Amino acid sequence: MSRSEERRKAREQGGSDMTKFYVILAVVAVVGIGAVGYSIGSTALGAAATEPIEVEGLDDQDMLVEMAQGVTKGDEDAPITIIEFGDYACPGCGGFAMSVKPQVELLLVETGKAKFVFYDFPLTSIHPTSFLAARSARCAQDQDKFWEYHDALFRNQTSWRLEASPIAQFLAFGEDLGLEGDDFEACVKSDRHADVVSANMRLGYELRVSSTPTIMVQGNGEFLMLPGATFPAIQAAIAQIEESAPADAGGAN
Amino acid sequence: MNDDEQSVGSAPVGAPPTNRMVVAVLALGGFFVALYLFAHNLGLGGPIVCGVGDCATVQSSQYATIGPVPVSFVGVLGYVVLLALAFVGLRPDHRESRMIGGLLLVGSLGGGLFSAYLTYLEAFVIHAWCQYCVISAIIITLIFFASIPEVARLKARSS
Repeated sequence: MSRSEERRKAREQGGSDMTKFYVILAVVAVVGIGAVGYSIGSTALGAAATEPIEVEGLDDQDMLVEMAQGVTKGDEDAPITIIEFGDYACPGCGGFAMSVKPQVELLLVETGKAKFVFYDFPLTSIHPTSFLAARSARCAQDQDKFWEYHDALFRNQTSWRLEASPIAQFLAFGEDLGLEGDDFEACVKSDRHADVVSANMRLGYELRVSSTPTIMVQGNGEFLMLPGATFPAIQAAIAQIEESAPADAGGAN
Repeated sequence: MNDDEQSVGSAPVGAPPTNRMVVAVLALGGFFVALYLFAHNLGLGGPIVCGVGDCATVQSSQYATIGPVPVSFVGVLGYVVLLALAFVGLRPDHRESRMIGGLLLVGSLGGGLFSAYLTYLEAFVIHAWCQYCVISAIIITLIFFASIPEVARLKARSS
């Protein structure tokens, strides 16, 4: 075979290899563009606020107390207030919601002995979706379904807490609860309630909340931050407050 | 006469180096992995998906950036450079290029060592795994192995 023929064959072989190479490269490019595009597109949270926002005036304690809004379950006039600072993506909070809160509701809230107040405290540094979850629950609150939604978030926590964007699940929870779809979706995908959630977080920091769930019990002028989020700890705190009540009452008289 | 002109010489143009094709394909794949992480850093992708490990922990750690620059951006740049080198090295007049071969070797070795350091941080410092970082580490390792034939090419041209 002459040198020119060798060269021609090498060129032909090279051309064939390069064609295959370009095909493979094109496939990788299409797959890559599709995967990145899909992940960005499907997880794009649009205008949905997923992080705390700056809220003016929170340095003022009075303003902070006004801005921070817990959601109350039970009789507003109940003598004892049980407060939870919770994070919807926190497994510990999920455990509290599923095992301790039902006891609190059954034995303390429904009997009128106490009311339960939930404050958002999303630990966004370790749970990137928890702020959005907190806002979504507030969106459900707009339609008077906060507690149903709150429970749905915790009950289904494992299905969404590691999702890049759990918006689809959040909307599905709302649909299951019969929330008005368009309003709820528009709310979830906006920055609505970001101010309240951010204020609640700030209040938590001011109260030295450093983990979730943090439970506090308040009544008769006493304010106790509990070392553990257990029902016995809550009962013990209530007993302590009740024991102090007669003495206080006597002192006042 | 420059390096590339030397490499062409009067020899017949051979088939394109397969290893450089492999490097190009891998680099393109690595580019998309790094691009995904970088998009997340830019806030375009929302919180990162993690089926295994905990990318959020890794990505929010102090080691996720070098000064103001996200490590993922370094990855994007690195893969673009390797992809470009492989492409240039596939051109008929650069297929025997020692310079391209040397750059591919150095680049993939540097990227591999940097990736090994990041993997060490994940395992022993951050104690969390981001599968995208692991995939990138595997890709750059494969690119390094695919670049090893460049050593023979360098030696052949040197002798």
